[in-house]
Amino acid sequence: MDCRDIRETISACVDGEASPAEAASVREHLASCDRCRVLERQMRALGAGVRQVRGRVPDRFREEVFSRLESEGALPKRRIVTPAAWRWAAVPLAAAAGLGLFLLTSREAVRGPAPPGPAASRVETSASYAPSPQGNAPALSTEDREMVALLDILEDPADLDASDDAEGMDLLAPGGSADTPNSSRGGRSGA
Amino acid sequence: MLLFREGSRDAFEELFSRHHRAIVRFAWRMTGDPSAAEEAAQEIFLRIARAAPTYQPTAKFTTWMYTVARRATLNYLRDTKEDGEKVPILSEGEREDGVYPVQLPGPDDRNPEQVVWEAQLTERFRIALGELPEGHRAAFVLNRGDGLSYGEVAQVLGITVQAVKTRIFRAREMLLSLLSKDLSA
Repeated sequence: MDCRDIRETISACVDGEASPAEAASVREHLASCDRCRVLERQMRALGAGVRQVRGRVPDRFREEVFSRLESEGALPKRRIVTPAAWRWAAVPLAAAAGLGLFLLTSREAVRGPAPPGPAASRVETSASYAPSPQGNAPALSTEDREMVALLDILEDPADLDASDDAEGMDLLAPGGSADTPNSSRGGRSGA
Repeated sequence: MLLFREGSRDAFEELFSRHHRAIVRFAWRMTGDPSAAEEAAQEIFLRIARAAPTYQPTAKFTTWMYTVARRATLNYLRDTKEDGEKVPILSEGEREDGVYPVQLPGPDDRNPEQVVWEAQLTERFRIALGELPEGHRAAFVLNRGDGLSYGEVAQVLGITVQAVKTRIFRAREMLLSLLSKDLSA
């Protein structure tokens, strides 16, 4: 093959873009042509040369780009948590805390001294945990106290040491009739 | 890019940190001037960000990115009155035997791509690169500088693979001619 005709293929071969058949013909030609071997080496050197032209990233390039993008509105705003933002967040947080405190105190007020009679123990389960002057109910085991504490985390488990703690448990006791709470209560009180 | 399109600023920051060096290098090789390269590189990122809402991943992201980059630098060069064909296709420095009298550093036999170029020669190379027609320069820079395949270069430039092959060969001929003239002057 004539040198002039094969040079473009040599160039492609240097770039790894020649087909296997082209690469074979180039190898065959280079084996017998000193001039094209020199040219092939020069072509490789040019590839290395373009990679040497690198320039460098200018100082503040990133800041400049992001500043222009932000001024155009082409970039989503970064969410930054500032002290001012925390102040705004404090408003709903304080409101939630206040509401919680209100609910807690309201509940305590409702619970108050347990009204006598079956209706109260039916409706207000937590009221049944309230200490009772009747101190003849059997004390709950540690495991039971933990269970009850889990049922109502607002209760202080220490309160369950009171004698009639089991009244609330009566409602959960198997065989206990919701319609006859007084029977168990009465039973205990009679014991 | 898809995350950025969905409104993630972090995605753009990641995209920027991954590609800004390549973009600056490409702009530098295409314009040959530090301030022009910086201006063009900024413009490239602006165009990428502006294009995000309509971006469709029909090709590799880097291919799309270089398409944007090439258009941006092309516009920049047009604005600065680059008129394209500056170098005759027929290389004047070519000798009859087809070998250019250019003193290029000889490639190492074991690793021919690892050639150490003197700073002075690199500067001459940068100037010679700037003398190439923009289309030839873009093809050569994208392939040899940025590692795009002929197929990817063809996509970026919107031409055939055969045309890429020819442009890169022509670019090599012109560079050798320019460098040999420079060195023999």
